[in-house]
Amino acid sequence: MMSFVKAAARGLNAICRAHSQQGRKFVIENVRKYKQYLVNPWRNVVLPEKPKLKFLNKVPNLKKATKESKKLRDIQGPAKAANCFTTGQYAIIAMGGGYLHWGHLEMIRLTINRKIDARTTFARWRINAPYKPITRKGLGQRMGGGKGAIDHYVTPVRYGRLIVEVGGKIELGEVEHILTEVAKKLPFPAKVMSRESLEEMQRKQEEMEKNNQNPWTFQQIARGNMLGIRKVLSPFDLNNHGRFTGKFHLPGRV
Amino acid sequence: MTYFLFNMAATLCVPLLRNQGWLPLVQSVRHGSKAVTRHRKPLHILKQKLLAVTEYIPPARVVPPGVYPSQNKQVQEENGFALLLKKDLNKVFEECRMIAVVQRNASSAEDMLVLKHRLFKHGIRIKFFPNQVTRSFLINSVYSNMAPLFIGPTVLFVSKEPKVKEMLSALRASPQMTLLGACIDNTLLSAQGVVSYSKLPSMTIVQGELVSGFTMLTSRTASMLQRHPAHLSALLQQYIKQQSPDKDAEVVPKAEEAT
Repeated sequence: MMSFVKAAARGLNAICRAHSQQGRKFVIENVRKYKQYLVNPWRNVVLPEKPKLKFLNKVPNLKKATKESKKLRDIQGPAKAANCFTTGQYAIIAMGGGYLHWGHLEMIRLTINRKIDARTTFARWRINAPYKPITRKGLGQRMGGGKGAIDHYVTPVRYGRLIVEVGGKIELGEVEHILTEVAKKLPFPAKVMSRESLEEMQRKQEEMEKNNQNPWTFQQIARGNMLGIRKVLSPFDLNNHGRFTGKFHLPGRV
Repeated sequence: MTYFLFNMAATLCVPLLRNQGWLPLVQSVRHGSKAVTRHRKPLHILKQKLLAVTEYIPPARVVPPGVYPSQNKQVQEENGFALLLKKDLNKVFEECRMIAVVQRNASSAEDMLVLKHRLFKHGIRIKFFPNQVTRSFLINSVYSNMAPLFIGPTVLFVSKEPKVKEMLSALRASPQMTLLGACIDNTLLSAQGVVSYSKLPSMTIVQGELVSGFTMLTSRTASMLQRHPAHLSALLQQYIKQQSPDKDAEVVPKAEEAT
């Protein structure tokens, strides 16, 4: 890509020699102006001091560890927090809900730290260290006798949440294979996206909602409780507009 | 343990406690799965119907697909093998007068061999070419209308002499081969066209018919003159009577004067 661009700039130079004086001046100035960007498109990118992913604890530092109920609603529905880019340019975005435990986080951290070039790239966590306690009963125990003891901690992740953000003086192609390798190993479907592709996805969804030719929409029927359909719908369906069932996202729904 | 039993009792009895003296028809003792499951929970039929009814319908297309040629697909280099095949095709189209396109479905190797042998006796050869190569070759040549014939498993029957009857009889013997179309003497024919072409009489017969048609008049007059002249006069009188029945009185004496 860079060589092609340089060749184009050279070609432009050649063209401007052939044209008249006025036209020549105009072309030369503009080529000079754009050449700066062409040669170094990442002039304004600042690399942080610690470019690699930091270590996340397996267990949170609590004085007293309390057991928690299952609360599976932290997986359900779209993400409200951490669903847009902050410092980086490319990220792994969750396309479904699920729990990430310390094993997953270690895998992500080690793969990314090993494979990125620390001089040109940096990576940032967009999820917290595990904080939700998951209890387990011992092997072979019968039902009853109270809730089990805390076994491990997990981080709940919703659809649309960013897991890891990567940025720096890089193109998508340099980093895509690393991030897809990680994305395939996650317990929920995940996708590698850039800022532009995320905006494109959101724009497409809005466009679909706008130019939908179907006179009936899920939102309209659920809100109006037409045909008493709320008997078979959950209260979450009112806000999710039929795009989610449980932790799964249904693509192509409006 | 007791806490668990009380819980179970509570879940069962709650509907009963609401309305004294009312028993529900169906009491479920088993617990179903929660709302958020690892598997895709089967949706209630009404919810399925709702999702089906409220699907996204895209706006109607102004331009149907395939109308304009795509802008991206034109940059494809041909590999050497394709070029070789195209040269071969070119030669075939130049040399042979008859080229038939036949679709072969599920014919075994021995059937093919038998068919090949039968056709080779009449000088018809069977040629195999990949569809993509033939289509790209045809589109760039004069025979562009043949291009839509080459879809699916097709085989070419080529021969220098258009021996259509033998080819049709051989094809009738093997039920899996269906004739799609043919190009005989640079004219495209469909399957029915080929059948009607086979039913046409040969060149000599047609030429003989033409010549006889032209010479019919003169030969008829010659044969008539060879007969007795009284016959000719009777014929002429009959003709005059038929021609103008009103002017009989005028024309008959004229005719008598002539004879």
